[in-house]
Amino acid sequence: MQIIPLFVAIPLGVAFFIPMVARKRPRVADTLANLTTLALFLMAISVIGKNGVYWMGGWGPFKHVPLGINLVLDGVSVFMLITIALISFLVTIYSIQYMDKFTAKARFYALFLLMLAGMNGVALTGDLFNLYVFLEIASIASYALVAFGCEHEELEASFKYLVLGSVGSTLILFGVAITYAMTGNLNMAQVSSIIGGELKPIHLFVVALFISGFGLKAALIPFHAWLPDAHPSAPAPISAMLSGVLIKTIGVYAMARVMFNVIGITPLTSYVLMVLGTVSMVVGVLLAMGQDDIKRFLAYSSISQVGYVVLAVGIGTRFAIAAGLFHLINHAVFKSLLFLNSGAIEYATGTRDLNKMGRLREKMPVTSTTSFIGSMAIAGIPPFSGFWSKLFIIIAAVQAERYGFAAWAAGVSVLTLAAFMRLQRRAFFGERHEAYDSAKEVPGTMQASMVGLAILCIVMGFLWLPQARETFLIPAAKVLQEGLNYASNILGM
Amino acid sequence: MDLVGYLIVIPLVAGAIVRIIPDAFKGLKEGVAIIVSAVTFYLTIMLFKQGWGESTYFGRVIFRLDTLSSFVLLWIGFFGLIMILYSFGYMRGKPYLKQYYGYMLLTLGGAYGAVLANDLVVLLSFWGFLGLTLYMLIETGGPQASGAAKKTMIIVGGTDALMVLAVALVWVMTGSTSLTQPSIPTITGLSVFAFILFACAAFAKAGAMPFHSWIPDTAERAPISVVAFLPASVDKLLGIYLLARISLYLFNLTGGMMLLLLIVGAFTIIAAVMMALVQHDLKRLLSYHAVSQVGYMVLGVGTLNPVGVAGGLFHMVNNTIYKGCLFLCGGSVEKQEGTTDLDNLGGLARYMPLTFFSCVIAALAISGIPPLNGFVSKWMVYQGVIELGRQGGHAWVIWLVAAMFGSALTLASFMKVLHTVFLGIRAKKGEGPREVGATMSVPMLVLAILCLAFGIFAYAIPLKGFILPAVKRVLGMPEQGYWLGAWSPGLATLFIIIGIVIGLIIYLTGRLKATRSDSMYVGGEILTAETRVSGTDFYKTVSDMGFFHQVYEAAEKRGFDTYDIGRKISFYFIRGFRALHTGILPHYLSWMLAGILVLIIILLR
Repeated sequence: MQIIPLFVAIPLGVAFFIPMVARKRPRVADTLANLTTLALFLMAISVIGKNGVYWMGGWGPFKHVPLGINLVLDGVSVFMLITIALISFLVTIYSIQYMDKFTAKARFYALFLLMLAGMNGVALTGDLFNLYVFLEIASIASYALVAFGCEHEELEASFKYLVLGSVGSTLILFGVAITYAMTGNLNMAQVSSIIGGELKPIHLFVVALFISGFGLKAALIPFHAWLPDAHPSAPAPISAMLSGVLIKTIGVYAMARVMFNVIGITPLTSYVLMVLGTVSMVVGVLLAMGQDDIKRFLAYSSISQVGYVVLAVGIGTRFAIAAGLFHLINHAVFKSLLFLNSGAIEYATGTRDLNKMGRLREKMPVTSTTSFIGSMAIAGIPPFSGFWSKLFIIIAAVQAERYGFAAWAAGVSVLTLAAFMRLQRRAFFGERHEAYDSAKEVPGTMQASMVGLAILCIVMGFLWLPQARETFLIPAAKVLQEGLNYASNILGM
Repeated sequence: MDLVGYLIVIPLVAGAIVRIIPDAFKGLKEGVAIIVSAVTFYLTIMLFKQGWGESTYFGRVIFRLDTLSSFVLLWIGFFGLIMILYSFGYMRGKPYLKQYYGYMLLTLGGAYGAVLANDLVVLLSFWGFLGLTLYMLIETGGPQASGAAKKTMIIVGGTDALMVLAVALVWVMTGSTSLTQPSIPTITGLSVFAFILFACAAFAKAGAMPFHSWIPDTAERAPISVVAFLPASVDKLLGIYLLARISLYLFNLTGGMMLLLLIVGAFTIIAAVMMALVQHDLKRLLSYHAVSQVGYMVLGVGTLNPVGVAGGLFHMVNNTIYKGCLFLCGGSVEKQEGTTDLDNLGGLARYMPLTFFSCVIAALAISGIPPLNGFVSKWMVYQGVIELGRQGGHAWVIWLVAAMFGSALTLASFMKVLHTVFLGIRAKKGEGPREVGATMSVPMLVLAILCLAFGIFAYAIPLKGFILPAVKRVLGMPEQGYWLGAWSPGLATLFIIIGIVIGLIIYLTGRLKATRSDSMYVGGEILTAETRVSGTDFYKTVSDMGFFHQVYEAAEKRGFDTYDIGRKISFYFIRGFRALHTGILPHYLSWMLAGILVLIIILLR
């Protein structure tokens, strides 16, 4: 399993390499970055269905006791790697022409790849402290990327994000420290076998710290306040990455991993997750409905959609987790698409204000069509991907006899539809406004990326067909649902 | 792939292709559309004759043909053909043709799929897809239609989301999503909840209150061929089909749920027709009648006895025929005269005799005048309600009065339409309009003739042919003769014809001898278009009456619109939440702190 560390090493290496060779040559930077993300995508595909543990420096476990740091490739890490690689590949294609209007493209890619390295690290690591380190790499890169435009608004957003994000990171670090103090170990598998699912009050305190820390990274309400500022301020490809994968990797995935596999889920924590998810789902969509800034609107809607994922994961049956992960990857695709669409609109018209748009479908057919597909997918209209994942989340909730949560999920689906119909009407269908005259369709690579994502929105429903499900979603769900078996799988006990 | 597979796949594939063909090849688009709709209509006839069938994919029975679905299918196929034919004339010169024919065909495919689906998840997928195509079709009305399109999508798509929950509940209750499973009695809270959610989806699609409000808006803004095709015909068929499917097959309704259907039905009849009385726009007026008529269907299905259900289903078919016809007449008027505002119409009977003829027949049919089809099906619904009364209770009187009173008001309302649009003096100056071309007049006439045929030969053609077989399987065959009450259409028609003939004789003989015709005398004034009597305000007295006045005023402000009420409630919360987002960092930090504290308290309790 020598390929495992490359998921971190390649983007990290290229991140340092690009500013060195390509500072004055943006096309070289484009090529290098795109090749890197393509390579990562192919690598991620090549590890589907594989499991493995990589011990750094060859320091394997001695009599089932880990000595070194390990990277773990299992169902759910593969799932996250694919999600990250898929979105980042399509986003870098989009960036080629979109980022031309910014200077310092090489720095952009450097930060981008750094963030990627951090996320891949979070997805793979088997060590609690490493988790924190990778999470900070991804977070710090994202703070810088949010401020990339260097205007007043971007800097303010980045500062808020930095402060709140650091508080979240500190909470996580605090939790890691207490865990270390309690168990004398940082290896996730080892910690897991020591705690063994018997939670003392101090463990519950750690759970509270982790839920709030990771919850902040995942932008769960009431820890969400940074997101509606940060996500709109970043350049569109970064907004797509932040909403599409970052909050899910360092938020939802990391939380699920720690809760299920390390500390062990209890009915109470499970219920807390469901409530947090539902509150985010409901409040997020309501806040989105009132927004006139298209990116801010999308940002709030991300809060709502992450709520779905957390709700499903919180239910905790294998079916529910699989449905939640299904929604996670679907949301990664359609929310990235929608952010790229918003970037295309901004690129073409120079505004993000919904009140100034209107009837853009006549000028920007590709953007309009892909955005419509993305909106329908997020609103859960068949045959698009979001319909299937919401359907299965609702079925899973009903199956687990969580009728109230199921009803909320269905109700939020109605509100999401209402919110996105409003977006469609204001931007693409309704009467013309001032932005109409100057609008024209965006250049080729941006179109290609949006079309690619739109096609994914249509075909991703097939992921739930039995064969695809058994190779991709179910193994991922199984890892989380089997909880503390994680330890024995890693340490070979 | 079998016949069922072809029926669904052909229009879907053709629709996708037509959607891609550039606008320059307009003839090609129209050609493909008409050929495909004709082929699928032929296929529906084949399937109707076949009457029964199952299609298995992935090891499950995905599509199933039975007596109920086969005749609904037939009508969808029929209306697809008629409406696409009509569109040739009506849509000529309008923008967005690329979308139009493509989505018409996609809608056809989706509707076939939804009716044939034997699995709830499959039904749900097609159902949602139909919402999408409906949205895109309304959007072909241009920017001014986008508000109506959005509202439609939110109401129809939103109830689809509720149906998702209903499907999940059914699956958990029975372990299956098949539609052929044993009926679920609505005795537990969950099954009642599931039934209501399904009913919401059916009501929204068919346009029963309180989910009706998208229909008037759509009718006003969207191309009228779309309105005639979807809200007036296919969506009615689908909505009532779903209602019948869940009420008769999937669930076993108890008294409470029956009462719900009866209340919704009776209320829809009266409330919608009252709104129709005071409308100023022909399309909007027709659309309120479209809502009102749904009430009869819901009422009929709600009686759950063979006469009533057969009446409800028959009324569904009849309504699509005459309502489709009325909308097409409205479209012809709009095409030729350039407006549907009742204040600017009048005296068109002379110029557009075919349209006038079709419109009179359809108007009489919708008002329930014997011997037309609308009368027979309403009669059967009344019989069903009376039958309900035989089982005890007194509530049936309310339903019966509502239904009959609604019928009278419908007649009143259509008197206003006929007078305002076709009689009196023409409002516009200049040369009168010409009759519409054959592609537009043939569909209207075909539908008008069907109104006559289905009324006079009610038993021989529609009832024996497809309505009773559909009801028979679930509810048992009603006794011969008993289901029609004392009504004998053949004899009645004979009497009516004799009556008309005698009347004509008297009129003609009297006219020859005693009358002379002259222009109207109004104190020496010359009667011009300005002083003409428009029928727009015929029923203004109704809306000016004390209590009604307030109700109408509230309705004008959309006080009873579920969509607007929902919006107001949502925005009430939204304002609150937005006010909390001050953008001040310490506030955000304090929320976070509060969040952590709450978490710690809950977890360590």
